[in-house]
Amino acid sequence: MSAYIDARTLPGGTVLSPDIAIVGGGPAGISLALALADTKLNVLLLESGGRDFDSNIQSLYAGAASGVPYAALDAGRLRFLGGGTNHWGGWCRPMDEIDFEARDWIAHSGWPFPRKALEPYFPRAQTLVEAGAWTYDGSGDAIASAKGPVLPLGKGGVYTSWFQFSKMRGDVLPTQFGKRYEENLRRAAHVTPLLHANVTAIRLAPDASRVDHLDVATLNASGGIGTRLTVKPRVTVLACGGMENVRLLLASNDVMKPGLGNQNGLVGRFFADNPIPRDVATLVSFSGALAPFYASNLAMDNGAILRATFAPTAEFRRARKLAGSLSTVEQPVTLDETGTAAVVTTAIALGVDASRARAYSLGCGIELKPDPDRRLTLTGERDALGLPRLKLHMTLSDEDFARFRLTLAELGRQLLASKAGMLRINCSTREEWLKNMDWGHHHLGTTRMHVDPKQGVVNADGQVHGVPNLYIAGSGVFPSYSASNPTMNLVALTLRLGDHLKKVAA
Amino acid sequence: MKRRTIVAGLGVAGAAAAAGLYRFTDLFVKHYPPTPYDDVLAVIDREQASRLGRAALRTMPDFDVAKTAARLRAAGGISGAAAQDVEQERMTEADGWVVPQSVALIAALAAKFQP
Repeated sequence: MSAYIDARTLPGGTVLSPDIAIVGGGPAGISLALALADTKLNVLLLESGGRDFDSNIQSLYAGAASGVPYAALDAGRLRFLGGGTNHWGGWCRPMDEIDFEARDWIAHSGWPFPRKALEPYFPRAQTLVEAGAWTYDGSGDAIASAKGPVLPLGKGGVYTSWFQFSKMRGDVLPTQFGKRYEENLRRAAHVTPLLHANVTAIRLAPDASRVDHLDVATLNASGGIGTRLTVKPRVTVLACGGMENVRLLLASNDVMKPGLGNQNGLVGRFFADNPIPRDVATLVSFSGALAPFYASNLAMDNGAILRATFAPTAEFRRARKLAGSLSTVEQPVTLDETGTAAVVTTAIALGVDASRARAYSLGCGIELKPDPDRRLTLTGERDALGLPRLKLHMTLSDEDFARFRLTLAELGRQLLASKAGMLRINCSTREEWLKNMDWGHHHLGTTRMHVDPKQGVVNADGQVHGVPNLYIAGSGVFPSYSASNPTMNLVALTLRLGDHLKKVAA
Repeated sequence: MKRRTIVAGLGVAGAAAAAGLYRFTDLFVKHYPPTPYDDVLAVIDREQASRLGRAALRTMPDFDVAKTAARLRAAGGISGAAAQDVEQERMTEADGWVVPQSVALIAALAAKFQP
């Protein structure tokens, strides 16, 4: 059994030499540590924070921004054990097969492997996020039908898909990896969680052939540097999230001057998130109230918590050159005079009774097209540990909205085709799209995966090109993004990395 | 008072009462002046349709009343036309509402003849 170690209690100058150092104790880092727990590899899990939120530690995340308004850089992340799972919503959905494909209408899209390479890892990822029995597109309709009617859609390019929700055992909250797996990590004989341990630099061997060691520092009570440590792992895995991994790589520039892994200027580029504009459409159900699994998360008889969502089919995405999107009912709304007129007139034309019609607003999550100019860079300002702070330049193209609009229009047509309802698209101008903009806080793409070092920071195994003992885990390696929430998918990808590391590090 | 005056007065009063009754029933059934397209418009709620139609007309600067009526008649009325439009993906937007083209057209027609 290994104990948690508080790095602040170690003597200055301590040198630790694990087989594998995992930098970051979020969902990727903890999943990887658990995946390696059944080996004899000595694993050191370095977490900057402790078990709870600390504003001094959190402030290390602060940064600057330009371009399209975006969340503050320290708002969408949490720097303590469990990372982003300490505030996630628990939304889970596996990425679709088409999300992995190189789509000729979306530049820079495509993974180095198909979805089937991740499929063996989905069941265990689903277990780790505690999202219940696998009830997505295969059986969601049948299971949900027991709780109410699934809105019929006419033949076309949009179908009813399903989110599942993480639910921490015995709790209403989604699984918080730090709390949920604290005891599992404690019981793992060869895994040592090291709390309050901030990696401040990744030091390469002088010939740049491999990572030699990591500089580690703690914060003292007054917010300055406390103890300095050294970690000399055989293999290092960065699992600090799509933003912080970039900061560490770019700041570790003593040997590779552009930054570690940045020989082709790609580290920090292609930042993406899932925009979540609210009230993008008004959906009317002619027959009255929708089943409860549309506007809220509902526990099913098999224990899974489901919520319906509208997704474009792969065929429709190909035919209309669309990106991914998932549109979800949010809350009931009241129709204005024109809306009532539209419903009355259309219902008469279709010969349906709309006297009990109910209207709902729709929100959505959209897949952005990869954009090299949506980018994280270092600023001249430094944090309490001496690391340069990040700056994000955020972009959003009108094309991203225009593509999604076609999906909404098709959903509207299919509702009419089934005579089940109709739809209003509430956003046309850029201002309207941005008015109710929210973000998923899914930090994607900044250390993208590609077999070609000129097009990606890591290879298909997650290894940084040119540095054989340095890997990156998490959604930062997603080369194109999907509209599905990343957590369950990044856990699956991390479990795949775990299998790879078992082979190379054994 | 002369008999002729009484008869004329009663006539005027009767006409006024009839007009009042006609307007009173507007509360229940809206009365419209006759148009060449009453056969097309008969099946819809013209007041509601004209509200949608005003929005539809904003995106139809070249709206042609006669052509629209001819198209709707040729389709056998709005019911058949709307279903065909949906199936054949002939859709349009009126104030953002995704509707079959024929629904937008009949709504615009109603708006054109809304007193």
